[in-house]
Amino acid sequence: MSVAIVGSGLAGFTVYQTLRRSLEPDQIAVFGTDDDPAASFRRRAAAIRQREMRSESDGHCLATTFPGLSFRSVRRRRSLAPLVDSVRDRYHPSVDEFLDHVEEVRGRSGWDRSVQLGRVERVASVGGGFELDGRGVFRHVLLAPGHPGLHVPADLRNDPRVVHAYEPHDYASTVTVVGAGLAAATEWANALDAGAEVVSVRRREPVRRPLNVPRHYFSRRGLADYHRLSAVERTARLQTLLAPSFPPGRRFDERLTAAAADGRFHVEASPNGSEQVICATGFLRGFLHDPLLVHLVDEHVLETEAGWIVLAPDSTVPGLTDGTRTLALAGVSAQWAFPAADTLAGARYAGRRFLQRIRSCRTR
Amino acid sequence: MSYTLKGRIHSRLAAVLVALVAACVIAAVVREWWPFELVAVMAAVGVALDLAWHRLLPYQPAWSMLPLGAVELGVLMAVVFGFGLRAPLRGALLLFAVAWLAAVVLAQAVFPSLRLGYAEDGGELGRFGGVAAAAIALVLFGAGATAYAQRPPVVHLSAGVHQGPLVITRREVLQGDRGAVVRGGIVVAHDDVEIKDVTVVGGVNGITVDNVHGTVLDGVSVSGAKLDGIHVRLADVVIKNCTVDMLGNELGQGIDISFNMDMGMSMVEGCTILGGMDGITTHSSMTEIVDNQVSHTQQQAISIDEMSMETAKDNEIRDALGVALFCNDRSMCMFEHNTVVGTQSDSADGDRSRRGFGVLASFLSQAELHDNALASNPVPFGAITNSEISREQK
Repeated sequence: MSVAIVGSGLAGFTVYQTLRRSLEPDQIAVFGTDDDPAASFRRRAAAIRQREMRSESDGHCLATTFPGLSFRSVRRRRSLAPLVDSVRDRYHPSVDEFLDHVEEVRGRSGWDRSVQLGRVERVASVGGGFELDGRGVFRHVLLAPGHPGLHVPADLRNDPRVVHAYEPHDYASTVTVVGAGLAAATEWANALDAGAEVVSVRRREPVRRPLNVPRHYFSRRGLADYHRLSAVERTARLQTLLAPSFPPGRRFDERLTAAAADGRFHVEASPNGSEQVICATGFLRGFLHDPLLVHLVDEHVLETEAGWIVLAPDSTVPGLTDGTRTLALAGVSAQWAFPAADTLAGARYAGRRFLQRIRSCRTR
Repeated sequence: MSYTLKGRIHSRLAAVLVALVAACVIAAVVREWWPFELVAVMAAVGVALDLAWHRLLPYQPAWSMLPLGAVELGVLMAVVFGFGLRAPLRGALLLFAVAWLAAVVLAQAVFPSLRLGYAEDGGELGRFGGVAAAAIALVLFGAGATAYAQRPPVVHLSAGVHQGPLVITRREVLQGDRGAVVRGGIVVAHDDVEIKDVTVVGGVNGITVDNVHGTVLDGVSVSGAKLDGIHVRLADVVIKNCTVDMLGNELGQGIDISFNMDMGMSMVEGCTILGGMDGITTHSSMTEIVDNQVSHTQQQAISIDEMSMETAKDNEIRDALGVALFCNDRSMCMFEHNTVVGTQSDSADGDRSRRGFGVLASFLSQAELHDNALASNPVPFGAITNSEISREQK
């Protein structure tokens, strides 16, 4: 076995599906702490009561974008409505549909034959590849460690009223929601639906856009320019692109407008005397919060920039990748190569290039 | 999808390739070249519009294929009609529909299911894009070269008098040199014959075109025919820039085009006809009669007869005897921007239908008049025997 994926979450799972175009399950080792690729996502989605994906028809784990989830939905619902919605960019699969899809793909792809439970904490460059914490040497390794943890602003960490949006919670009668992204918008709606009075605390006005980043950054059209930016420019661009955002449309606007008119929703500068403070502030950012990546950077003296590991455009780690071996990143830690790396499309991007590297390897 | 420019063109060419296959099939069936011409124009228009869309659309949602397709169709048809490509409307629409559907299905389903990262690559198809371009170039070049090689041979008729009748029994261009004269008439007896710059003197008919397709008479000059100057039966024809002298012949027609209703449009344009019983007459025909000068005719200057459906416009008619513009026998006629001057009465024997009509509709016919200049005609216009004339004068 010469190929390994470190990380058994959705990013690793999506990369795995791409590798399966060329490799059999017993040729791929997946190291992770849970054999259910959707375990973390399922927990978080349940905590925040998410019912619908932000992604569209192609927000799935398969290697090719077609047939997408809307097509699958047409067959299941026996209605063309999902396809029509998809053509209009209005289709968003439900969380249940997405989880069913993951389960179905997991079952038929041989994922469980490849998964080896256990945490990999160190990746060492050795002759002929990479040694993974005593689990063997692999010529081609892709790291998809996922988000390093939930982010709670420093001034709120010791506040007993605080709960993170991605942790299980109910709603008090007065709720402050900190944040301005989709999680925050979802929590505004949830809390209002629960009858609470809601205060939104945010550092900036939310950006409204359908997907995590502008659409052209999902294709070579936007990426070609992005990859040409200097390190400083790319850092600035990433900070702009990754600003909190949520989709435009009536889904949120109507409820918020009505609640504001009733005096049940308002914006303030800081958490006030609400009974509950929900931090919809996403995840810790940067490789420094992930021990695996910290060791990798330290031990191999990798180039970094403002918390990101500097990657080649194909999501591989320069200096540790050549014609005979590959070390690649996928998921949120690969944003240097692909701004929307923490999406399923981002995982597909990294997976495809990882597979190209494996295919072109002379000593594969 | 967010296309790169290269991706747009690759995806476009892949769809054109499908249309090209359809064009090959259609061309084989109809045995004409227009499907290839149309695909070539389609590719050129598509790529040109891609350059515009690329700037305007950083992201192109799937639904936009409908309005963009409509725009492309509009531009394509404008080019087809503007440059006079001989593609039938239904065929052109069919071929465009094939190309458009191919583009939709390829971009939305086929490539995204076959190619890892089709969307991610902005529609680029790698080597296949180059192969598609090469295949299209090769097929179109091959078709063009074949069409060029199959052009009819050009036969030069040297200056001087050639004894006729000259019977043309193969596809050819008969090009008359300056001063080339055929005495005794020409008979066109094969499809796709073009006669240019030839003077014909005498003959039963000056030029006879009978039961053939695709005849073009350009710059011919006819005089001294015993019956018709140019006599067309069961044939589609384009006659332009001709001169027909029928002075002294009170029985023949200058140009007579008859019984070709089922063969598409014919055309008479830019001719000068002098004398004859009728100047230009058509029976059961669809002929455009445009920009001609007709004078000194004995019956009608321009006669649209026997269930013909035609337009006569921008013609100048002078000194016709009896009737200038005549719409007869269940015909439907559109007369636009014609000038009719000096028609003379021929009703000395009491025939009231020959009182010198500028325009006459007769026997269940319908004539529409738009902006005609009628002057010095004893009766400017009239309708008899259950016929109608409608006028719209600006």
